[in-house]
Amino acid sequence: MGFVDYMQAVIDGLLFGTTYSLIGIGFTLVFGVMQKINMSYAAGSLAGAYCGLVGPQLLGLPPWSVFPLSIAASGLIGYLIYLTCFRFIPLASPLATLMSTVGMLLLLDEIIVHSTAGMPQNYPAIYDGDPIVLGDFILRADLMGVFLVCVVAMAMLLALLYRTRLGMATRAMAQQPVAAQLCGMRLQAVNGLTFVIAGLLGGVAGAMIGAAVGMLSPLIAGPITVKGLIVTVIGGLGSIPGAIVAGLMVGAAENLFQALRNVTERDIYVMLLLFVFLVLRPGGLFSGARGRD
Amino acid sequence: MRKAALLLSSALIAAAGIAAAATAAAEDRAVIVKGFGAKSGVVRSFGINSEAAMRAAAELINSQGGVKLADGGTGKIEVEFLDDRCTAEEGISVVRRMASGPTLVAIGPTCSNVAEPLFGVLQKKAGDATDSGLQFPIFTDVAIKGGLAKISEWAFRNVPSESEMYTSLFRWVKQTKPELNSIFAGVEENFAHSRATWYAVMKEAAPKAGLEVKGEAKWLLEDTNFAQQVREIKAASPDILAIAAHPFTTCGVLKEMRRQGVKVKMLIGLTSSSSLETLQGCAKEADGIVIPTSFAPVTQTAEAAAAQAAKYNGSLDLHSAATYENVFILKKVMEEQGVLAKPDTVQADREKIRKGLAALKETDGLLGKSKRTDDREAVKPYLYVHAKDGKWVVLHNPVTN
Repeated sequence: MGFVDYMQAVIDGLLFGTTYSLIGIGFTLVFGVMQKINMSYAAGSLAGAYCGLVGPQLLGLPPWSVFPLSIAASGLIGYLIYLTCFRFIPLASPLATLMSTVGMLLLLDEIIVHSTAGMPQNYPAIYDGDPIVLGDFILRADLMGVFLVCVVAMAMLLALLYRTRLGMATRAMAQQPVAAQLCGMRLQAVNGLTFVIAGLLGGVAGAMIGAAVGMLSPLIAGPITVKGLIVTVIGGLGSIPGAIVAGLMVGAAENLFQALRNVTERDIYVMLLLFVFLVLRPGGLFSGARGRD
Repeated sequence: MRKAALLLSSALIAAAGIAAAATAAAEDRAVIVKGFGAKSGVVRSFGINSEAAMRAAAELINSQGGVKLADGGTGKIEVEFLDDRCTAEEGISVVRRMASGPTLVAIGPTCSNVAEPLFGVLQKKAGDATDSGLQFPIFTDVAIKGGLAKISEWAFRNVPSESEMYTSLFRWVKQTKPELNSIFAGVEENFAHSRATWYAVMKEAAPKAGLEVKGEAKWLLEDTNFAQQVREIKAASPDILAIAAHPFTTCGVLKEMRRQGVKVKMLIGLTSSSSLETLQGCAKEADGIVIPTSFAPVTQTAEAAAAQAAKYNGSLDLHSAATYENVFILKKVMEEQGVLAKPDTVQADREKIRKGLAALKETDGLLGKSKRTDDREAVKPYLYVHAKDGKWVVLHNPVTN
């Protein structure tokens, strides 16, 4: 393999890495507000993507309807996860929500497997045309579309967080929950809405992963969960810009490692990358001081 | 006198009652045959199909009178299918549970990564008092990795020989398409069956048929991005692409090939991919892929069996067809060996079933007769199918052609 192949691998990885960024942002959003990890986040995103298939497969809706339906379903699933795994769980217990969300991850996985008999389901692409050829490089047009959608979703999220009252409330609750409540913000309402927003974002990620792969399979849930957690840790727990950069970095790195070594060693090097960050920069790329902004 | 007559008639009535009870007990006797395989996880469809096939076969046998027992009675086959989650620990645990109860024999497992360690916990040589391994017959229907039955004399398999099938296929390809000279593979590196089929079977058979092996691209079972692997395929520029992978990644790589405009002259697939899953996932991209298989509904018996399995919400393919065949083979063995199916004859019945299976030289299958080998494997008839217009269609039948 030559330089062109390695660069191609990096480009493909960067394009697909935006989906990892979205998953990482979802994990980090919830952590930022609640100081807890939602282990079922990626599974919920995937479940939303599956729900989106109900439109074209059962209701006879056009194929593009799968995208808004997936996003909406993921938002709803996000809220249900909040109700079942966080709202009535004793948050003071360090392991309680970890266990509840791991249980939810397994439950969602089994529901998907039993509903579909484990069979892969076709998922429409964003764009089904020819790839874009730039010299020696091939850019998948559909992956470019995935990249654009993910970037727009991230931009909308940042606008929501920094330009709206809801965003301000979310940030206030993340930084100073007691003071925020004293100012009249309702803790449960903000937490619930955070899960809905994270769910919607996860729906975009799930839909884009389905669109990029061309299929959905329960096999995807586990690796996406692991990648999302790696991105969250490398980016910095609670840092959205960190999750964005880390997602792209992990996407590019895993493709590059695969090209340099082979697929059986790829994940070893990704884990080593995580280990290096945990040792040398445990707070992540954008570990900032906790406080008010 | 009256007292004597009364006593005699009571004795006669009691004797008649005992005889009737014994007959009733024999007629009501359950012949417990359990299945086990992947009923959860991503290979769940295999377990669903196997269970459907087992229930369909048992229903047919029971409707035709059941199994003739050694004491003149008949027994009805009782089927239960247990989930081993395609993991060795669960598979061993499930079989140990079965062995501690009244189950006479088990059909399974689905996954080769379960079968191999599972056979290892069985008694290696039957009758070896120094070996404390399980003395429980297992008749495998699906787990297809080569040469596993020789691990234990309690293990038997009714799976096709992939070595035989692919050797024959490559020879046929070279004869009918002499312009095809090279082969490249795509391999699922972390799945025992896929790896073994390429490295131990196809890669060995291809050069013997005169095909140049140009290498292989690798991926994992759960991978979703095949861009690099397809570039490797494109760089190798083979005539034939052999995809030793299951439907999810087979479809993934075929879709990526379409995106990148990479074409080959012939596609050859893994036996397990000759299923509904592949057609549901990528019928368009998989059009023309050739796969050898030991089942297709090409005979009346096969068609009828497929229809019966469908009643239990399963489909018959090369794996579940073996499950169906296994139930009938076991019925015949039980009758020939004189199984009693009583609570106090369980271990003796298991030994009879083991002996009976070991003695078989030939069995009846849905496509014709299969031979049995000395190392407890099967040599089954097979044919080649290809995906055409969203269906699996017979391309060539080596037996009749």
